[in-house]
Amino acid sequence: MEKSLPELNKAGSHSTSSLPPESVDIVRSKSCFRRVRLNVGGLPHEVLWRTLDRLPRTRLGKLRDCNIHDSLMEVCDDYNLEENEYFFDRHPGAFTSILNFYRTGKLHMMEEMCALSFSQELDYWGIDEIYLESCCQARYHQKKEQMNEELKREADNMKDREGEEFDNTCCAEKRKKLWDLLEKPSSSVAAKILAIISILFIVLSTIALSLNTLPELQDTDEFGQSSDNPQLAHVEAVCIAWFTMEYLLRFLSSPNKWKFFKGPLNVIDLLAILPYYVTIFLTESNKSVLQFQNVRRVVQIFRIMRILRILKLARHSTGLQSLGFTLRRSYNELGLLILFLAMGIMIFSSLVFFAEKDEEDTKFKSIPASFWWATITMTTVGYGDIYPKTLLGKIVGGLCCIAGVLVIALPIPIIVNNFSEFYKEQKRQEKALKRREALERAKRNGSIVSMNLKEAFARSAELMDVVVEKSERPHDNHLSPSHWKWTPKRAASETSSNRSFNAQELGSPNKARATSPQRLNVQKLEEMYNQMAKTQSQPNLNAKDRGSKTGKQRDEIELGAIQDHRPPVIGAREGVGDMKSLSSIDSYISCATDFQENPRYPHSHAMELGLQESNRFSHSPATAFSQHGSTKSGQKTIGEREPILTPVSITKPSCTENKRRFFFSGNSSKSHIPKGGCHSEGGPGLSPLSDSSVMSDHSLLSPEVSVYTTASSRTPPKSPESTTLAATVFTFHDSSISKYIDADTDDDEHLRDLSDISPSERLLAGSSPKRSISTNYQKGCNHLEAAQKMLGQNCLFPMEGIRGVAHENNVGPDMARRPKVDRGRQNTLDKSL
Amino acid sequence: MWTVPKPKYRTGSCDEGEIAVNIGGVRVVLFGDVLNRYPESRLAELLNCSPQNHDVISALCDDFDPGRKEFYFDRDPDAFKCIIDVYYFGEIHIKPGICPICFIKEMEFWKIDQAVLDECCKSYLSEKEEELTEIANKVKVILEDLEVDRCITRTQRCQRFLWRLMEKPGSSRPARVIAIASFLSVLVSAVVMCVGTIPELQVADPEGKLVEHPILVAIETACMSWFTAEYLLRLASSPNKLHFAFSFMNVVDFMAIVPFYVVLSLTYLGTSSMMELTNVQQAVQALRIMRIARIFKLARHSSGLQTLTQALKNSLKELGLLLMYMSVGIFVFSALAYTMEQSHPETLFRSIPQSFWWAIITMTTVGYGDIYPKTTLGKCNAAVSFLCGVIAIALPIHPIINNFVVFYNKQKVLESAAKHEVELMELKSGRDARRKSRD
Repeated sequence: MEKSLPELNKAGSHSTSSLPPESVDIVRSKSCFRRVRLNVGGLPHEVLWRTLDRLPRTRLGKLRDCNIHDSLMEVCDDYNLEENEYFFDRHPGAFTSILNFYRTGKLHMMEEMCALSFSQELDYWGIDEIYLESCCQARYHQKKEQMNEELKREADNMKDREGEEFDNTCCAEKRKKLWDLLEKPSSSVAAKILAIISILFIVLSTIALSLNTLPELQDTDEFGQSSDNPQLAHVEAVCIAWFTMEYLLRFLSSPNKWKFFKGPLNVIDLLAILPYYVTIFLTESNKSVLQFQNVRRVVQIFRIMRILRILKLARHSTGLQSLGFTLRRSYNELGLLILFLAMGIMIFSSLVFFAEKDEEDTKFKSIPASFWWATITMTTVGYGDIYPKTLLGKIVGGLCCIAGVLVIALPIPIIVNNFSEFYKEQKRQEKALKRREALERAKRNGSIVSMNLKEAFARSAELMDVVVEKSERPHDNHLSPSHWKWTPKRAASETSSNRSFNAQELGSPNKARATSPQRLNVQKLEEMYNQMAKTQSQPNLNAKDRGSKTGKQRDEIELGAIQDHRPPVIGAREGVGDMKSLSSIDSYISCATDFQENPRYPHSHAMELGLQESNRFSHSPATAFSQHGSTKSGQKTIGEREPILTPVSITKPSCTENKRRFFFSGNSSKSHIPKGGCHSEGGPGLSPLSDSSVMSDHSLLSPEVSVYTTASSRTPPKSPESTTLAATVFTFHDSSISKYIDADTDDDEHLRDLSDISPSERLLAGSSPKRSISTNYQKGCNHLEAAQKMLGQNCLFPMEGIRGVAHENNVGPDMARRPKVDRGRQNTLDKSL
Repeated sequence: MWTVPKPKYRTGSCDEGEIAVNIGGVRVVLFGDVLNRYPESRLAELLNCSPQNHDVISALCDDFDPGRKEFYFDRDPDAFKCIIDVYYFGEIHIKPGICPICFIKEMEFWKIDQAVLDECCKSYLSEKEEELTEIANKVKVILEDLEVDRCITRTQRCQRFLWRLMEKPGSSRPARVIAIASFLSVLVSAVVMCVGTIPELQVADPEGKLVEHPILVAIETACMSWFTAEYLLRLASSPNKLHFAFSFMNVVDFMAIVPFYVVLSLTYLGTSSMMELTNVQQAVQALRIMRIARIFKLARHSSGLQTLTQALKNSLKELGLLLMYMSVGIFVFSALAYTMEQSHPETLFRSIPQSFWWAIITMTTVGYGDIYPKTTLGKCNAAVSFLCGVIAIALPIHPIINNFVVFYNKQKVLESAAKHEVELMELKSGRDARRKSRD
């Protein structure tokens, strides 16, 4: 630590320098390490360079060959030469199997992985999916095909809905209404009623059709032939009129006439109407007796076609439609069923023919004649009009029965499976449609800004990288590099987060008064704070002398870090001017997404100082503060929330940033040290001041203040309701995360990252001992002692959290020793007390 | 998200039997006494070799950091987390999500015997391995097909060409045409066989007996000659004649052809009065039934039928069960029906063997109605027998169907997997060649 930390601040590592490192440095770093650390989405991996060389054309293989900063940045998202660590902002789950491919030469797929995302990962890492081993390949392709099919269908659906544009012709508005009324029964009550009426007409007409054939109800015409009952003919006419009207209206209102004409359901409709008109036409045009017999025969055929109207019910029933789809999809299996049956029939009918043919008065006269018997037997219908009589024939018959049962039962489960799958799918889709509609409504209302699903799908990873690079550059123009210890990327993220922060501050109604006087206050506060930090660092150092040298070193660094904090605030203030003001809390997310444009920013955003982060997750500072009206409770909120923040830092995209975050979190927690120190030194004069300043300025949210409030939150005595408050805060935090995920549904990477993190995060937050400390505190122990305790453990925990979760390698042995040291110091403090 | 397992420090001091290993970035500290439970394993060997012996160490691990005394392994940390369990619990469970084949490779690397794998995971593994061997078999077949021009002589090349023409419809366009022609001829001959038995289409021969129509006979002869030619070509081109002659499909082919020639020779013998004409005619009649065998020739062209035979072959036990249930049911219910129907004067059940027929027809729910019970008791018996029949059939049929479905789905998967495997092999061989050329 002693060595590495100062070096970090020099030009040695990419992360801490504003200038990109020389290629000489890169080459040197690569040559002096045999291994390389790869940080993929927060999970560290260590691998030999030699292993990566096995596939030189892949992304990781290229990493070896890149010796220039720019090309290196093209390959990975961030790197740190000092730590020999390269960061990739990708899903860590898939990377394990990809790295194993380098190690073993065999590409296997994690079983729970989604095939689509796995294929995207493979694309990103530059590995062809053909390398997938055969044991996993089948599963992969099956899943992928399924997914692709689903996506295609979804896209088709979308296209369908987008295709319904009525703007090109006259009275588009009315036609659209009519179309909705006729085609979408769920769109309105009137449409539903219309659909029900339509169903009733179908049922009525089919009943009339069947009643018409009853001899008692038939009339006889002038030729002595039976003809339709006049009452029933009227019913028929009315039904046909309704059907015709419906069809014509549909046709007129349809946005795409040819497509409408081709649609299977509409073809059925047409076939249900046409026979009636053809019959009328034929009977009217051929009144002469000569042709009448021929016409009658044709008319009879058309009468049969009237049965087709029962298929019109398919329009109103999902079940019937999915039956149709199933039959279409499983024609292979149906063919198999028919083939099995045909073969069985053939075999058994010829067998029974040869067995029965010599019997006198036999009905098995030929093989085709015994087909009927075989069919009826194999399907176990058994009319009994033909049955074998000889012993041999009976044996054949028995075998035929059993074989029939078997043969029919075989392909049925496959078809049934298809059907149930399709039916489930249909149900799911209906639900998905509703959900998407709700989402769209939300989008229209402006609470969510998201990309189109298809776009998100099509967008490649490389493209995103380019966007990131571009969007980063402009930001560091107005910031003097001398102030900037961190990289441009860092700067950009910081400013952006600060900006959004301030914009929110400006925009939220209850913060409207946060104008210049209070801003002045901020500056004062900063000064005061810095002074305090300076003065307090002395006793702190004394305290640490009892501890160890490392602690001291660290403190210095922390101080540096704290001071480095001012520039972002200024930068942010500059940025405030060009911010559009936003009014609703809801729009905070959209504002944030506006800033981000790419998946990296949310993370860099999230890695900001404690308060900001907590605010980010709790939607807006306004809510956080307005919810907890009293200052004390507000402070308490921050204090309670802090444990959540440290684990969140895992989500950060870059390893170097991770490390920085490390210091920052150490920093933010460390900032209690001066505070605590002041307490221990008996600085009651200072603590009221800090309290009051917080009281008056709790609406001001510059990072310093936030740190400050965090620090001072420990000092006031706890009110009993703070425990319940803490609970609410935690639940709020969770729900806000889930909200955040909901908002970002289109960007799946985000979602994955966040959802991946959140459980562990929650876990850590839940188990974080800091909370228990504050509860201890609530039990009303000595202020001083509690403050000291907190001090020691505050230093401890952020580090523990980070180290334990992800960053053992980053931190190195010194870091690993650190907690012990802290503990030791705490002990000494306790002793001294 | 895993964390480093916390080493249980024994009051601070670092034990001598402790080694720190770094597996792909995850650092683990292990105790020597634990590792020595499996002295054969790689970690135990590492522990027991002296730290100065660099050759051994570099053979055992990928990298060694003498300063931190840390051994580095370039392996999968996830799999290692499961494998390390063996030292503590004596058994290994494959973590869900890791491919078992991949996991076994890891176990081999750590030199841990496969036997310690727990039973529950073993079945999963064996399933996968079975699948892999099947894929390997398919791959072998494909590779054999792909092996071109290995043979030197011209006749061998001709033979190979002919073989592919006749046996692999997917290999070329003519082969496809031949397959379709063969399929059509099977259908035509089957139809001809059926149509030939219709009395209206038959003609009377000089002795007043009805024989088949001459056109149908001509078609039949053409089909038979096609079948014969096909069979002979296949036999001639097959690399292994004995194997060919006894394979199932070819036996079917043979059975389809033979009756025709036997009938021909018999009629020739009959007309040349070397045998009695009546005997000849009886033999011819008997052999005509053999013609049905030609329908099975369709199986060559339908993968569904092949799946069916495979499924039936694999579920012979269940088929036996089905027959046993049925026969027991038939015996019981026919005997019952016979005794119960004895009281009725005009009973249709005249003997127990005769009522077997009734029992079969009832139990399979066919119910022709030629024999039916007339007494009340008999009717009750019939109802019970019908119910029992449904159950007796439904129970053993389920595994058979299951087998069929599994085979059906597997066949689709295997086909693509084998193709993929071949591609993969090509790719890898290409890569190796490239690497060699680069070196």
